Amino acid sequence: MRTPGLSGAMLPAIRDGSSLNQALDLGYRQVLVERGSLLAMLGPLVSAARQGIAIFVNLDGVEGLAGDSAALAFLATDLGFSGVLSVKPHLLRDASRFRLRTVQRIHALDSTGLETGLNSIVSPAPYAIAIAPAVAVPQVMPTIRLTTMAPVWGTGFVTSAAQAKEVLLAGADVVASSRPDVWLDFIRIPVRG
Amino acid sequence: MATRIVVPPARIGAVDGSVTRLLDAFSRVPVAAVVSRAEELPRALTSQVPVVFFLRPPAFHLGPLVWAVQARGKLAFVHIDLIAGLGKDRAGIAFLAREIGVNGIITSHSALVAAAKAERVIAMQRLLLHDDLAVPSALAALEHARPDIVEVLPGVIFPLVVDRIRARVPLPIIVGGFMTEPEQRNAALERGAVAISTGTTSLWP
Repeated sequence: MRTPGLSGAMLPAIRDGSSLNQALDLGYRQVLVERGSLLAMLGPLVSAARQGIAIFVNLDGVEGLAGDSAALAFLATDLGFSGVLSVKPHLLRDASRFRLRTVQRIHALDSTGLETGLNSIVSPAPYAIAIAPAVAVPQVMPTIRLTTMAPVWGTGFVTSAAQAKEVLLAGADVVASSRPDVWLDFIRIPVRG
Repeated sequence: MATRIVVPPARIGAVDGSVTRLLDAFSRVPVAAVVSRAEELPRALTSQVPVVFFLRPPAFHLGPLVWAVQARGKLAFVHIDLIAGLGKDRAGIAFLAREIGVNGIITSHSALVAAAKAERVIAMQRLLLHDDLAVPSALAALEHARPDIVEVLPGVIFPLVVDRIRARVPLPIIVGGFMTEPEQRNAALERGAVAISTGTTSLWP
């Protein structure tokens, strides 16, 4: 894979061109396109990718893309994005053929759901697993580690830099937040020891 | 698990789909027992919990489990989204309501909430909070579907969203999902939940 991987523990989750610019202005070299129409922000995303920004796409959250090989080929080959997230293992398996980094999303809503999600991890091993909501990571990390040693991302409901720090201290490698104030505070207050 | 056909007890017309009875029960014991395996049922039956949630029961062997709960004077809810073998549609809801006689149905889908209300069983809608960006649309769906009661998951998110939920939908709230410690139960109840749902047997009084 020649596309850039991750370069820090905070992953700004964006939903449009303006939030993308906010993240880039703060110096972040990686973003997660979490919501919104991917097609409506295509121009800014492509130019960011050309500048070496690592772009990950939540396939379950963005609008404008089909969940098929053509969409994955477009993201990988035409756009040069770094990776994709999904709860759907078959989609990730397909994505790995296009040399996209694959992140298995797992909803941590209750123990039954977590178990189902962890059982859905298939080969090839994902680049990471993303636990949603991130704030559940401290509670579920022991269970996760019984199944997989894959890097853990936390996404969803991170509303302060302090909360982001808790998620990282609980063992997550990456934490995503959609709040620009969190992106800013995260830079101001170094949280990774 | 019983596999033979069991004739239901005289329940037709006796099954109570009233929300008032549910809330009365929770005002005494604010815990619903989440049962995901049949082996856990005896413990729930002998506990003080007034309500049992069947999480992923075998649809066509469900009757005896539900009736055992009701025979103890408890209310039985079935999670239709996770049930194996049953259509997630009106016919599936009608089967649970008429043939099994469940007290209520749990679902995250607004269309099934409407079907449950049409069958006069208690409609509990799950608010699955895995992502803050999804909250506005989830609340809009809730406002539209108007279930009888809401189950918010996971518990750790509840304090973060309780005010936003209350501002939009004045419905009773149950908190579930990774509720394993008494402190979590107490925190949820203090913030206004009518009950918690948990599979952690130590929290079943």
